[in-house]
Amino acid sequence: MKKVFLQGLTIIVLFFLTWFLLSQIDWYTIFKIKKVTDKTEEKLGDLFWNILQKTEKENKNTFVINVIDSIVNKICLANKIDREIIKIHIINKDEINAFALPNGHLLVYSGLILSSENQEELSGVICHEIAHIELNHIMKKLIKEVGLTALISMTAGNNGTEIIKQTVKLLSSSAFDRSLEKAADIKAIDYLVKSKINPQPFANFLYALAEKENESDKYFAWISTHPESKERGKYITEYSKTITIKYEPILSLNTWDKLKEKLLNNKSKYFKTF
Amino acid sequence: MINNTTFAYIPGEHEAEKASNSYLMSLIVLIAGFPLPIINLIATLIFYLSNRKGTYFVRWHCTQALLSQLSVLFINSYAFWWTVSIIFSSEEMTSRYLAYLLSAIIFNIFEFIATIYTAIKTRKGIHVEWWFYGSLTNLICKAK
Repeated sequence: MKKVFLQGLTIIVLFFLTWFLLSQIDWYTIFKIKKVTDKTEEKLGDLFWNILQKTEKENKNTFVINVIDSIVNKICLANKIDREIIKIHIINKDEINAFALPNGHLLVYSGLILSSENQEELSGVICHEIAHIELNHIMKKLIKEVGLTALISMTAGNNGTEIIKQTVKLLSSSAFDRSLEKAADIKAIDYLVKSKINPQPFANFLYALAEKENESDKYFAWISTHPESKERGKYITEYSKTITIKYEPILSLNTWDKLKEKLLNNKSKYFKTF
Repeated sequence: MINNTTFAYIPGEHEAEKASNSYLMSLIVLIAGFPLPIINLIATLIFYLSNRKGTYFVRWHCTQALLSQLSVLFINSYAFWWTVSIIFSSEEMTSRYLAYLLSAIIFNIFEFIATIYTAIKTRKGIHVEWWFYGSLTNLICKAK
């Protein structure tokens, strides 16, 4: 009996040993899996952004771009994120929305900036979206919902514009898994804290959104794509309570007000054309 | 790992054929059942049940063929559900997963070769005992 037991144990140990030894090899590099997915992501990002450029109006105002850039620069520098990866685009649209596309394209709607009470709220949302990029949530979501084969086929130009548009819509107006949202929230707080930005206003922003959840207003896109805002606000508050650090503003109050003013001016100009 | 030993008696031609078939059965379902590992076990189990009243030699080899499925059943089931979770959930494909798949393939190949070898030998009436599974079969399967 003892002999049988020892022989069985040997087989189990042998299997786990084989697995352990094989795990030491970087199969991703050997099979060039990373290279293929990286290339697909790069092509998809550009493809989606090209489609969006045709339908959305990008804000090219140097002041607005510089201000948002300075927030993103500070976050990236403090968190050792490669700034080259994040490609910020500010879109002139009333929708309160921000979302990430493959290959680090991050779209921030002017409606979101205008509805933010302060720079910390906006920084919180930006950090949340950067977290999605850094944690590779965008490609994960696309592979899960669309499939890798369909994505590769898109990059090869085998799919119609309508399918690509639908995929972009999936990213801009549908939520990630609850676990992925929570992971991005937690990561966002880490980014905020390391950048010496107070995370509490971000939690307050989520509370404020939660109150508007029932209004089902078409302008509150970020609410519908980020459900359970109240619960999220709660755990962000709890998490940030454990952190004791002296926070510093990135922008002066004057710059923040001027940014909003510029966007408001742009908005009125936009409406005047109609 | 595999020992050619002498059995309690010299099996007849008909017995050797039936005993050999039990391995062939597990071999066929190993190919068919790789994506859904439970098929292997069910098929071998049916063959085992239909031969449980056979001669000692046939019963012994049907039991060893059935038991030998156990390790690959667990290994392949885990690989199957891991793959499913990668496809349908947020689980990511890692080097650890690929290493597991390769380990599973290596063990399946070993099992495959051992099964073919045993089927050929048993067909000739030679008694073949596997490492661990042979000893386990000796504990379970007794001469009436």
